[in-house]
Amino acid sequence: MINPYLIHLLIFVGIYIILVVSLNLALGYTGLLNLGHVAFFGIGAYTSALLVKAGVPFITAFFSSGIVAGIFGYLLVLATKKLKGDYLALTTLGFSYVVYSVLINWGSLTRGPLGLPGIPKPELFGYVITSGEAYLLFAGFIALLVVLFIFFIIQSPFGRLLEATRDDELGLRVLGKNTFALKCKAMMISAFFAGIAGSVYAHYITYIDPGSFMLGEIILMLTIVIVGGIASLKGSVVATFLIILIPELLRFFHLPSSVLGPVRQMLYALILISIVLFRPRGLFGRIDLA
Amino acid sequence: MVMSQLVMNSLIAGSIYALVACGFSLIYTTNRFMHFAHGTTIVAAGYLLYQLFQVLGIPFFAASFVSICLAGMLGLSTYYYLYLPLQKRKASNIVLLIASIGVLIFIENLIQLIFGASVKSIGYIKIARGMDLLGAVITPLQLTIILSSIILLGVLSFLMYKTILGRNMRAVADNPELSSIIGIDHVKVSKYSFLIGSYLAGIAGILIGLEQNLEPTMGTSLMIKGFTGAVIGGVGSVPAAALGSYLLGFAENFGIWYLPSGYKDAIAFILLFLFLLFRPSGMFGREKGASHD
Repeated sequence: MINPYLIHLLIFVGIYIILVVSLNLALGYTGLLNLGHVAFFGIGAYTSALLVKAGVPFITAFFSSGIVAGIFGYLLVLATKKLKGDYLALTTLGFSYVVYSVLINWGSLTRGPLGLPGIPKPELFGYVITSGEAYLLFAGFIALLVVLFIFFIIQSPFGRLLEATRDDELGLRVLGKNTFALKCKAMMISAFFAGIAGSVYAHYITYIDPGSFMLGEIILMLTIVIVGGIASLKGSVVATFLIILIPELLRFFHLPSSVLGPVRQMLYALILISIVLFRPRGLFGRIDLA
Repeated sequence: MVMSQLVMNSLIAGSIYALVACGFSLIYTTNRFMHFAHGTTIVAAGYLLYQLFQVLGIPFFAASFVSICLAGMLGLSTYYYLYLPLQKRKASNIVLLIASIGVLIFIENLIQLIFGASVKSIGYIKIARGMDLLGAVITPLQLTIILSSIILLGVLSFLMYKTILGRNMRAVADNPELSSIIGIDHVKVSKYSFLIGSYLAGIAGILIGLEQNLEPTMGTSLMIKGFTGAVIGGVGSVPAAALGSYLLGFAENFGIWYLPSGYKDAIAFILLFLFLLFRPSGMFGREKGASHD
């Protein structure tokens, strides 16, 4: 028997692999510094939870969560079409805040800050995934599929076009490529998978509230992408394990939770700053940070 | 009656945003990257004052002075030990932004670790009965906020437009290459802009601590308000950023008269979106502003 707590952590690793790998597609491969990724995660989680609670089968809700998040991804690219660099970063961060405000304030749909309790465990082909081990298999399987899918994308000519958009957008436009369409597609795929991750998260935790989709989570995702290395799939996967599991060692110090939370965040911040200062390529990055 | 109260509330909010936006804008124009940790400098100053005045019992003005000075040192050392090495390595402004977010998260959580997540308030000015001013109720403290903000903005304008340092700052903001050719020391100008900008942040932190409650996580939202104010006015210019912040104060306070109050923060973002999309140079900006980069 594996320790249930370890299983819980590994399920989180699976969810974060989906999130980080999809963020790296937008941030690393396409060069869109998107701080709104957490909003897609939240939109996916709420979509899936609300649909299943309304009686829709899990598999439909699962894909809807990705599709709804993907649509928002399209809208976000459309709205930020002219922006680059740090302006894009702040505007997408603003998008996260707007989604958060809507989740908090649209009480009749989301129950606001009270959150949505009692989200059913997923039911696939008549089998309900309840045990931790089974959920780990489920989350791990989805994470593997997502990593493989993104691996094929970045190997394809389309993936090379995305990297070219990041490296020299003007040059690519001169060659007659529609870079806006490329960015749209990359962002929609990225948002789709973040939405899927939201669904996996919501049905595992069975309770979601808007607070789970805020700044802290963006920082965590960003830290993992940067530690692993911009535009490195392997780096993202390895860094997810490291960054999620290493702070768990803090538990051995038996700190109270009011101390543990801030210390963990400070640790992430320190890792982020030191990587930026001393190793801008991250663990496996092929290119310097932007 | 309601209208004049809304105007008054807008002025109070606008005054605080203007201090944040001017500090931010000063740093932004001379350095061309977003010092996101500016928000946390404000909160740090507020908590320092809380510690010095409320906990240790140091006289208020001495405690405020020390808090403002330390806020300035915080901004300056962030520049010197973090941004300057990165700039020397020719890191892009995205890298600087990420580093800055790291600093923000670090200090925010450090404050939370020391002071806890619960709100703190500084009880220097006794809660006084509001005065009637043109049909609106305003407390002496709120009047102090508005007046000190206007005075500080005046001092800042004098500094920017009447002194050699200010002239150098505007030169660097206008054209960094050309200004270094004529012998303006960019690092020195940057140091001063971080110092002065962070002093303003410190003052804003103290005013916020007196008027509202302090929370460890309020820096991000303040930073975004200041940034939005600067974008509305026009990022390239400090006085425009101040005007933009007052407009934001009005938009928020009149907005929640029609919308549920929970959407107050969203109003800033929606304005930010609209301006970045349709008028990236801001209301009063002469430069190309956001589309410049």
